[in-house]
Amino acid sequence: MAMTDFTIISRSLTSRLFSTVTTIITVAVAVALMIVLLSMRTAGQDAFQRGAGNMHMLVSAEDSPLVAVLNSVFYASAPRQAIPWSKYREITEGLGIPWEFAIPNQQGDSYRGYPVMATTEAFFTRFEPHPGVEWSFRAGRRFERSFEVVIGAEVAAGTNLQIDDEIYLTHGIEDSRQRRIFGRADEVHMEPHVHDDYAYRVVGILEPTGSPHDRALFTNLESTWVIHAHDIRRAADPSVTSTTAADLRDADRLITGIYLRVGTRPGRTLSAAQQQVYDTLRRDTTITVADPHFEIQKLFRIVSNIDQIFIAMAAVVLLSSGIAIMLALYNTMEQRRRQIAILRVLGCSRPRIFGLVLTESALIGLLGALAGVVLAFIGMFAVAEMMKQTLGLVIEPRLEPVWTFVMVMASILLAALAGVVPAAAAYRTTVVAHLRPLG
Amino acid sequence: MTTPLALEIHELRFRYPGTPSAAWTVDVPSLELGRAEPVLLQGGSGTGKSTLLFLVAGLMEPQHGRVLINGENIHQLSGEKRDLFRGRTVGMIFQTFNLLNGFTALENVLAALMFSDLPPRNHRDRATSLLDSLGIDRPNQLVERLSVGQQQRVAAARAVACEPALVLADEPTASLDPANAEVAMDLIQKVTLEARAALLCTSHDPRLATRFERIVDLEALSSQSEPAAATLELSTDRAEEKPE
Repeated sequence: MAMTDFTIISRSLTSRLFSTVTTIITVAVAVALMIVLLSMRTAGQDAFQRGAGNMHMLVSAEDSPLVAVLNSVFYASAPRQAIPWSKYREITEGLGIPWEFAIPNQQGDSYRGYPVMATTEAFFTRFEPHPGVEWSFRAGRRFERSFEVVIGAEVAAGTNLQIDDEIYLTHGIEDSRQRRIFGRADEVHMEPHVHDDYAYRVVGILEPTGSPHDRALFTNLESTWVIHAHDIRRAADPSVTSTTAADLRDADRLITGIYLRVGTRPGRTLSAAQQQVYDTLRRDTTITVADPHFEIQKLFRIVSNIDQIFIAMAAVVLLSSGIAIMLALYNTMEQRRRQIAILRVLGCSRPRIFGLVLTESALIGLLGALAGVVLAFIGMFAVAEMMKQTLGLVIEPRLEPVWTFVMVMASILLAALAGVVPAAAAYRTTVVAHLRPLG
Repeated sequence: MTTPLALEIHELRFRYPGTPSAAWTVDVPSLELGRAEPVLLQGGSGTGKSTLLFLVAGLMEPQHGRVLINGENIHQLSGEKRDLFRGRTVGMIFQTFNLLNGFTALENVLAALMFSDLPPRNHRDRATSLLDSLGIDRPNQLVERLSVGQQQRVAAARAVACEPALVLADEPTASLDPANAEVAMDLIQKVTLEARAALLCTSHDPRLATRFERIVDLEALSSQSEPAAATLELSTDRAEEKPE
């Protein structure tokens, strides 16, 4: 096989391996940063929208709609305020609104750090984690009676729980070491309390949905009310050994959120009455009404400024990586002038020498970009995991093809531009001066 | 139609910038080399022997005169065409070999073939057989790891790889002891003879005189030049490359 320009370029790159590798790493980090930021922006927004499923509205007692959405939909932390059952009845029966569903839920307990949502069967029969996609069970069934629990796909993976296993729920979010349910400030910073008088039996394991609900457990409201009522009754009277649904008082029947959907025409996702319903609910000052999709957009408007700063920083890193390429090539040019002079003697033209250096520079850009794509993919898994742990946001790590292509091309172009100065220096190399001694 | 000579030099004059206008660094009224003819160009240090070789190779631009290789005036060719022409017609051997470090012996020869007009599919065979004929048994060894003698052989193989009409050897024995100088000259003359290339070898070593039938003394040659020639107009706009 004949020798090609590529042989000359690859020899040049490998002859100064350390410089080549560090320059490639610089480019890779910049490209990865840009790809992660640009891809995650879209993926993050999708993930947030996905969590809200097919609900139109969320009612909670939190102070702000955004906090309500983050806590009640994304399990960011246990809701601080509770809604009495009478309020639920009033909303669902007293306002004359044609609800397609109104699903009450209560959060505050956990199992090994995974949040527990107490709700009704309608959560599985009416609410869809993705609009148009129903719940699917990998094993078992949905809960049908008290003290049965269904676990999300991620809980199953993280705890290795199987059907018929028995578990005990912890009061509050165990990881936080704080009991922050229903605003009982006196309990803050206490050690977690396990509801060990009542065992729950695992009856169902869900398929992954790519929504925050994958990392939650689901049980019915009645059992949750019973275990909390039991604690209160025992605190008042230590001789109490058992509590049943018959012992529940109105004060025990508390919820932290309601997933709402207004009736729509077949095939439609939105209802014309939605705004009117929203306004009606907002007149009640004891509750907070949130449109999850709107709140998510609002959140993204808030974070987009920070987002843009990050992208600008990544662009600066990319630019400096271009300068690094230029310096790396330029600094070695003095050592390479003899090689260039020899090539000229052998018949290599000045334009071809220029092209060789420019191609070498572009190749560094290409290798850096490809390494950056790999790095971005790894980085996105890390970011996705972090988002899942901290926000409960399930982000599907995927490279946006358009942004990936744009970044790879931009990297090559920038590297080629950075190669112009050293290539010009190579072009100007005088043969005679670098092939001394002269007679 | 007669076959052109390997090399014809007519009224070639060159001076470095800053040199007094009456003095030429190179002043060759006429010099011709026939096909496959070996010629020793002698002269003391600083007489312009190497400069003459660079002028002949088209790597420097004379102020006056013509250099014809295979009947083609190399200085009338534009940049890229001249480089291609040199790559196909001229081979060069240097005192310090000037091999491409970081490349193997085989790649050094292949690098010369890259710019030749030989079909690429034949490059490897040609390079391998050349190196083999010169006793290089490790063609895939990096040249900087070869002995001095082997490096010289690689340089010789590279010079004749493109089947040139003319090989220019610049003081090939200057840094060698007498025994090695003999070996080196044996090698250079052997490869150029086998390649049917003319050889213009510069040296200030009088011992080489016995090896050549034709010897040209550069100083004597310069003294034959017309004095008026020293006053010729300079055409600096043609200068492609000037030494630093």
